[in-house]
Formats: sequence, structure tokens, C-alpha cells
Amino acid sequence: MKVSLNWIKEYVALPEDMDLSRLAYDLTMATVEVEGVTNLADEFQNIIVGQITEVLPHPNAEKLRICKVDIGTEIKDIVCGGSNLEAGMKVAVACPGAMVRWHGEGEPVKIGLAKLRGVESYGMICASSEIGLFDLFPFEEEATIVDLSAFDAPAGTPIAEALGLSDMILEIDNKSLTNRPDLWGHYGIARELAALYDLPLKEIKPYEVPAVAPLTIEVADLERCPRYIGVELSNLSVKASPFAMQTMLWRVGQRPINALVDITNYVMMAVGQPTHAFDKDNIKDHIVVRRAKNEEELLLLNGKELALCEDDLVIADTQSPVGLAGVMGGAKDSVLPTTKTVILEIANFAAPGVRRTALRYDNRTEAVSRYEKGIDPERCDLALSLSMELFGELYPEVEVTAFSDTYPKKLECANIEVSLSWLESRLGKRIPNETIAKKMGAMGYTVAFEGDMMHITVPSWRSTGDVSIKADIMEEVARMYGYENFEATPITTSFEGAINQLDVDIERKAKEYLAIRCGMQEIFTYPWMSDECVDAILQDTTGIFQLSTPPSPTERYIRSSLLPNLAKAVAHNQRYFDEFAIFETAMVIRDEGYSAPYYENELLPSQKRGLAAAWVCGGDDVTSLFRRAKGAVELMPRYTHMEGFTLKQETKPVWADDVVWLNVFVGDVQVGNLALLAKKAALSCGIKTGYVMLFELDLDELVPFTSRTNSFEHLAEFPITDYDISLLFDRNTPWEKIRATALGCKGQTKALRDVLFVEEYKGKHVPEDKKSVTLRIQIGADDKTLTTEEIEAVVNIVTKKLTKNLGAEARTK
Amino acid sequence: MKEKLQLLAAEGKEKILAAKNEVELQEIKAAYLGKKGSITELMKGLPGLAPEERREFGQAVNAAKNELSDLVESQREELKLKSAAIPADFDVTVPGTLPSGGALHPITQMCYDLNDAFRSMGFEIFAGSDITSEYSAFDTLNFPPAHPARESMDTYWLEGHDTGDADKKLCLRPHLTGESVRYMRTHKPPYRFVYPGRVYRNETTDARHERAFFQYEALIVDKNLTFTAGKVMIKSILSKVFGQDVPVRMRAGFFPFVEPGFEIDMGCLVCGGKGCSVCKHVGWIEIMPGGTPHPNVLRAAGLDPDEYTGFYVNIGLDRLVMMRYGVDDVRLFHSTDLRFLSQFR
Repeated sequence: MKVSLNWIKEYVALPEDMDLSRLAYDLTMATVEVEGVTNLADEFQNIIVGQITEVLPHPNAEKLRICKVDIGTEIKDIVCGGSNLEAGMKVAVACPGAMVRWHGEGEPVKIGLAKLRGVESYGMICASSEIGLFDLFPFEEEATIVDLSAFDAPAGTPIAEALGLSDMILEIDNKSLTNRPDLWGHYGIARELAALYDLPLKEIKPYEVPAVAPLTIEVADLERCPRYIGVELSNLSVKASPFAMQTMLWRVGQRPINALVDITNYVMMAVGQPTHAFDKDNIKDHIVVRRAKNEEELLLLNGKELALCEDDLVIADTQSPVGLAGVMGGAKDSVLPTTKTVILEIANFAAPGVRRTALRYDNRTEAVSRYEKGIDPERCDLALSLSMELFGELYPEVEVTAFSDTYPKKLECANIEVSLSWLESRLGKRIPNETIAKKMGAMGYTVAFEGDMMHITVPSWRSTGDVSIKADIMEEVARMYGYENFEATPITTSFEGAINQLDVDIERKAKEYLAIRCGMQEIFTYPWMSDECVDAILQDTTGIFQLSTPPSPTERYIRSSLLPNLAKAVAHNQRYFDEFAIFETAMVIRDEGYSAPYYENELLPSQKRGLAAAWVCGGDDVTSLFRRAKGAVELMPRYTHMEGFTLKQETKPVWADDVVWLNVFVGDVQVGNLALLAKKAALSCGIKTGYVMLFELDLDELVPFTSRTNSFEHLAEFPITDYDISLLFDRNTPWEKIRATALGCKGQTKALRDVLFVEEYKGKHVPEDKKSVTLRIQIGADDKTLTTEEIEAVVNIVTKKLTKNLGAEARTK
Repeated sequence: MKEKLQLLAAEGKEKILAAKNEVELQEIKAAYLGKKGSITELMKGLPGLAPEERREFGQAVNAAKNELSDLVESQREELKLKSAAIPADFDVTVPGTLPSGGALHPITQMCYDLNDAFRSMGFEIFAGSDITSEYSAFDTLNFPPAHPARESMDTYWLEGHDTGDADKKLCLRPHLTGESVRYMRTHKPPYRFVYPGRVYRNETTDARHERAFFQYEALIVDKNLTFTAGKVMIKSILSKVFGQDVPVRMRAGFFPFVEPGFEIDMGCLVCGGKGCSVCKHVGWIEIMPGGTPHPNVLRAAGLDPDEYTGFYVNIGLDRLVMMRYGVDDVRLFHSTDLRFLSQFR
């Protein structure tokens, strides 16, 4: 919202030497955010009034003229193509250095000395559109330059001064105004400034209604229209409003139209109350305020044709709607050049209805912006006073011929009791009663003190929901006292023991383990999944939520598993990387398992914290990819200090390869899967090359230990020997079986410590149905250093057992 | 004889010092000190000497043998070190072999930094629920029934759950604040907690707008708190994030769930508050809203607002990370692009 400082000064006498940056700062801190302060005259630097003394033809161009122009200090030659140039005319001259828009278009450019078709020109004579004044000096014919002859300003006067445009404009962030309907006009801002700076606010005297005939107004819906003042004004005509009023409207962003419309806009910008003038001749019988009928038609002032519904409130005559209440007038009732008598509407419409209607027809107006914030019905009085004053000024011959004020249920101002000791405890400071009374009084509050209590009556303009409880009063006192005048108070500490949140920590530990220990990169994806990945990986959409308005038609499913998005991320990154590993944690949600953890009636679906990871290789070395992924998973419980995993094959995940898959268990509970993504599914997700190992884990099912779980073993006193041996086994003999069998020898020899996997080999150096497995047998005694013979004896026991139980053979050439 | 010994000893020394490797050294040692070594051989002439000379000469030979033998050993050490020495052409400018690189998402990093800071002040960490109801997102937060935020089209409602009573309408949470009431309802006061999380808005995306983004909220609720207690929280957050003390101002702002409400600005770190293009020449940057919980919010949480009060702050994590690193497109955070993510370690 644009606020003119000159306009403000009509209501509050700000000191002439007021520091505007200070004012903007104070207003920002206490009331609303001032986004910028601009000097209106800055746009018109080096643009002055010039008087043409002579118009001469241009020797080289038929359409151009050479004007001798008096610019106050001297006569200059200016080349101009204007069609309405005349000697004696006062014009706007953009001297070198001025900023103008060529032909009223594009970005402003700086004027310099120039030669036009061989003739030197001192700047240019401007059309209104070239210096941003089109709204004040509209023209139809191209090449019309502004005629300033009517202005009493000698040649050389800066144009801003000549037109009375010396003003400062405050740009206020509308967002910061949403809860303050009282600030949507200059009078409201003036009131805040008066309170801030302890200055008097000019009173707007109530209008004394003359004894005239009652105007028939039928308000059929008092809930949606709590108040309706109708004033019939006769002896009017359509003419331009005074230039001063036009510029006031123009500087706050309104286009002057004619005196009748300008008055209504001026009133709105002054006190924040929209008003509307109907041409009485276009009203059949009288005005009716009612709900629209379904499908009832209305042609708006802006040409929009609406088919209304019952929720819309309309201003109608006895025949048809003539306007959309609180939103916009209709075409039928418009003020026309022939208008002589108007019905002035000063009405209050309830906010929610206006907002709904405006939203429904996408028709936002200045009136909507104000009504939707909740204007108090008392404000109609201010608007009436000001309107009648302006009509009187602009139309001395005007006559009020009928009047009515439908206002059956007067607004009740809010009353609030505040205890001073409560106020002190919340503010951390005692503010003197006199200060409170003075500041609150200036904002329109009535304050009475009684012992520790403060009785407050809220002014009508803050009583529409804005101020209703004592916390509101605390805010009013604090902001007027100045937020910066309260010192930060330390938060008192009460030690009730350390924060211990194992469930929170386990997620962080798991993530840090993957990122820092396993060298994986955390990613984030959206909570919706793309159709192709859902089809490829989940293959069943039962129990998956869908969005009512998805971001795209193929992204409607809500994340029920982390894998589809992970697969998509793999496909994305394969464009740039061959080998990588990524992971994500997020909520996985399913349309099932409802419970009400927080509120009795709020049933929420199953939501679990999930973790998923992907290891990607570009080539076909699935074994090492598998082992890398499996190693990371196997070690995770160790580093995150939780109950260990068991990996075994029970139920193959639908997305997994037929062979390479494992289920992850904690005890008897399945908590996840670790498997190779089936090639077909991978291709459907856009993973064109290589292989992907996927891991999914339900974080909520993990069992964290209450502290670290490392255990201590005495260091071996006597050496432990690693003895590597390669043996041939049938291809389908699982390693775990080999190891278990080997360890089964522990009963026979105490020196057998452990059996570890070194590598396996399948290929041309071993028979087709065999694989070679290299195992490392760890051998050592507690009480002595073993001899070579003793070590070999242990190896022999193990080898024999493997041969007997699993048919192992020594690997020979 | 004596002269010969001296000659041989000097010659031996010279050869030992010139030995290029251990084999050579061994050969030299044998040639002089071995059983048939030239110095050992000298001893054979011993019987031919006068008895008084004999003793003297014998001692001299032994001394020479010992000396050479020591020299051999020290030369052996020397040669060992020499052979282990790294060639002088070793290039110390070749790049190091990097440990396998992984990292948390930059927003997670920021979130954990803040968690650590708040934990050190005794705050708990709470994770609510991504799915919420209109009741929890608006009713408990004092949004009036006709508030435009409810009517607006920017909430992601779930199909089949998008009509009916407020507690039956389900959506992806449009903001975090509703979680605070959930926490309060399931815990005992006083409260001191943070609740970071992702929120969702159905809007057109561009470099500054995203459909999913992270917020970080903190709430403290206790008896007899003043509203300025919030300044301490805010300063803690900002000094943690920016690693320096940051000036903070609280100014009037309006949000339904707080009363009074504030817009919280931090002094522009780029210009030090003098005014620059980053802060739009005002010296301050709007960083977060905050305020005292509205009495109706405390009531929704089951507290008596006359007894309890508190302070909220709500930080846009994405924006904070963008400011910290100069990231100019918010969409990068959800891009999954490792070229972006791997920049943050």
C-alpha cells in the first residue's frame, strides 16, 4: 500500500524536520513494515516547465519542429514532433540529465544533448506518458504533448513543484497489514503516528443528517450486510475533479476518472471505507441488498460476465443485480456522462462472504482488500462525513434529497480487563500507568485504572476481532513503549537431568554411519512418487495415499516406500557418475493402521520413519557391489549401538532379483530388505546400465542400546597364526555352511580360533561344477606358542571335516 | 710390520667407507679381517718378533681389527639407511588419495548443528507427523474458521480425505507449528523443545519457492517467562549458524498463533548493517517469525494461559542454508543431484 506523507499530514501535524528514515523505522518496529520511502520529486529531476516562444519548421524533417523554449534562465532550441505545439504554450521540458520513457514504453533512459536530423536539441518536450504522468494527463492522439498552460508556474519551475507533486511516499508491505483493517487508509496510519510521537490527531466531525425524505433501501441479509447508509444526491454532473485531488489519488496508485468516482476513491484511501455511487436513473424502484439466485447473471464494470450463486451477496434494484456487494459495481449502474443524481452507498459487508465471492470470480479489488480484513460498521460514519464534505466542496450546488441508515445491531466494542501485575510479569518491566493511559488513549482505547486492574474499552475500529484478549493489550502496550526498550532476559535453567532420546539419536547415528563411515551421500526427495517407479518397484498401489491435487498427473502417490524415489535419484545421477552410493530417511505413509495419538477424533494413518540406501556400480561386478552393500548393512548395528541384524532369505521382495536378496531381521521381526534391484524394474525406472543394490529399513523397529556396546578382551599372550587354505566345493555350497562346519571342529581342537572368508573363485581354473574358496583359519593357544606341526594339525582337522561333511577337495593342478 | 699394519688399516678404512653395498662390504671385511684376511695374516709374523715387541704389536693388530670391524658395522647401518632412502625425485605435489566421500545433506547438517545447540540448552527434539488434519494445522493454532489460509488452494490434501470435519480432513502438513501442540498434549510442562521437519505447499516452484521445504521451530513454555526470553533463543540459533554474534531486532508482526507476534530481523552480515543490495539497503534481513503462544493455542494444549506463557520461533532452514552458502536456487535441495550435494562436507 502506498501512503502519501502529505496526506498523513492532513490528519497529524508531523514536525517539518521529521527524519523520514526514522519515521519508517519506528513504524516498522511498532506497527507495519515500511518497505521503502521514495521522494516523488526524484522521478522528475531535471524536468521543468518551459514556455514555447516560437515554433519553427525543421529544415530536414517535415514532421519535426524547432521550438524556441523559455526555460526560465534562457531560450533554448528544442526539436519536437508534437502535434499540438503552439507559441505561448507551457510544456514539460526534459532537460539533459532527466529520465524519460521513449514513447511511454520500456525502461527510463537518460536524456542528453542530441542532434535531431542535424539540429541541436536541448532535451525534449514531453508527452505525459514519457514522464509517467499519463494518468493525470491522458491523451488519445499520438504525439500529443502535455499542455501545462493552465498551471500558474513560471518557466523554469521544476515540474514536481508546478504540479504540486512534492511528497514522500511510504511503501507498506500489505502482508503486515492483514490483521489491521484500521490501517487501510491514511487516517489509520496517521493515528498510529500520532500515538507513536504523542501528537494530536485531527478529528473528523460527524455529519449532521439534514431533515430529508427517507431513502428506501431493503437489506434482506443483515448478517452479510450489518450496515447500509444510502444518500441520494441531486444536482450533480460528471466533470473532472480538481487537479490537486487527482494527484493525491495518482500518487497512491489510483487513476483519476471523474469527480464522482474520484470522491469515492479518495474516501476509501483516506479512511479505508469503500463507498460506491450508483446512477439513480439506472436503479429501478429502490436498492435491495440480497443473496443472488443461482445462475443469476451480472455484468461487472470491468466487463466480466458472471453467473452468480446463492452464496454471493448482491446490490440489486427490484429487477436485477446492479453490483457485487463489497467487490465491484455492475455495468448497469455505472456513472455515465449524463448522470445527475446518484445514490451513494456507504455500507459494511461481512468479511468472509466478500472474500469467498472475490475468490470465486477471481475479482480482487481495493474494496475487497479492505472488506476481507473485517471493517467495523462504525467507520461508515467517518466515510459519510468525509464524503459529504467533498461533495460540498466539489459541487456547491449539491442537494441531499433522501437519506437512510440501516444499522439495526450496533457494533459492541470489546471490553478487556488486564491486571497490571500480570502485565508486568509478561513484559518483565513495570510501565507507568500514565504512559499506558497516554499511548492507549491516543490509539482510541478508553482506559480506567482500579487498583491492580485496568479496564479497557477497545475502539470500534479494533473491535472486529483484532483486539479481544489481554495478550492483545500487552502487545499494544509493548509496541508503543518500544520493543527495543525491553532488554533480553536470560532463560532460567532447571537441571532435571540430561536429555536422553534414544529413538531420536538412533536415526542420526544411522545416518552419520552411512555418510561418514560408509562414504554415502544423503539425498532428499519429494514425498510423492512417480508412477513409473511405483509400477516398477512396488507393483501394487493398494493402501497408498493419493494427492487431491498432485504436482503433476504422474506424481500422485504419497511415499509408501523410499525405494521408488531412490531409484529415480539413481537414474538421475547415472548421467554424471558411474559408481556412487546414496541414502535417504523420510516418513513412509500408508492408508492403514489408523490411530489417534494426539487428539481423540484425529485419526492419523500409519507413519513410519524409513531409511533406504542404494549402492550403484556401472559395470557388472555384482559380487563386489553386493559385498560392499552387505558389509555396510552388517556393520550398521555395531556403529549405531543397537540390537544386531540377522540376514536371511524368507520372503523375496517383489522388486528384488531372483537370486540376490536378503531379508533383514532384528530378532524375529523383519525390519527391512537388502537386495539387488531386478534388472527389469531397474530398466523401467530409467536405470539403463549397471546394477543397484537397495537397502530399506524401518527405523521405528530398531532396538537401540542405552549406551555403547563395546566389550573388552585381553590381548592374546601367545601368537595367533593366520593360515590360508584354498579348497574346492560344489558351486552351491553357501559360505555360512562352510564356516559353520569348520567352526564345528572347535570341540576337537581348542587352538581353532575362527574361520574367515578370504575370497572365492569360479571359472576356468576350476571344474565347472566347483568353486574355489579361500578360507583363513586363525589358530593360537592360550598357554604357549604353537609349533608348525601343531598348527598344521589344526588345519588338517578342519580340512578333514570339510571333506567329510561338504565334500571339499584340496585345490590341485 | 708396524708400517704394514698402518698401511693395511688405512687402506681397509678407505675401502669400507667406499663400499657401495652390503655384499661388497662383506667381501672387504673378509679380505682384511677374515681368517685369511690380510690383517689377520699379519699375526702370523708375530712369533718372529722380540717378546717385548710381540705384545705391543699384538695389541696394535687387535686394536686395528676392532676399529675396522666397528667401521664395517656402522657402514652397514649407513648402507641400510641409504638403500631405504626415498629417491630425491619423489613428487610431493601429486594429489592425495581421498577417503571415500560421503556426507549428510546440507540441510541435515544445519539441522544437527541447531539440534546440538538447543540440546546444550536443555531442549528436547520432537518429530511429529508428516500427515496432519485441518484440525491440527489450523484449529489448535487459533486460525479462525473462515481464515483465508484454510480456504487457500496451497495445501496438499489427500484424496478421499479432503472433505468433512476439520479433524477428518488430512493433508501433508503445510507448516510445523501444529506439532508444538501435539508435543504439549503428550508431555508435561514446562516445555523446552525443538521440532524440525519438512512441510509442503502446493505452489508453483521457482528459484525461491519450493513445494517441500524444511522448517525448524523451537518453543519454550513456562510460568513467568517474559517475551524477551525469545531473544536469547534467537541469538543462540543465529550465532550457531553464522559462527558469530549477530544483532537481532524484534518488530511488530502478526500470526494467528502468537500474541504478541514478531517479525525477527538479523543485522545484515554482508554490509554490517550499513545497507547493501542483499538487505535491500535497510541493514536488516527478515529471518523468522516468532512470538508468545496465543492463549487459545495454550488452551488447545491443555494449559491455563494465565499460568503459562512462552516463546516460539520458526526458522526456514532452506533459507538459512541458502544464506550460509550463497545457494541461489531452493530447488537444488530436492534435486538429488550429487554434483550439488557433494559440495557440502
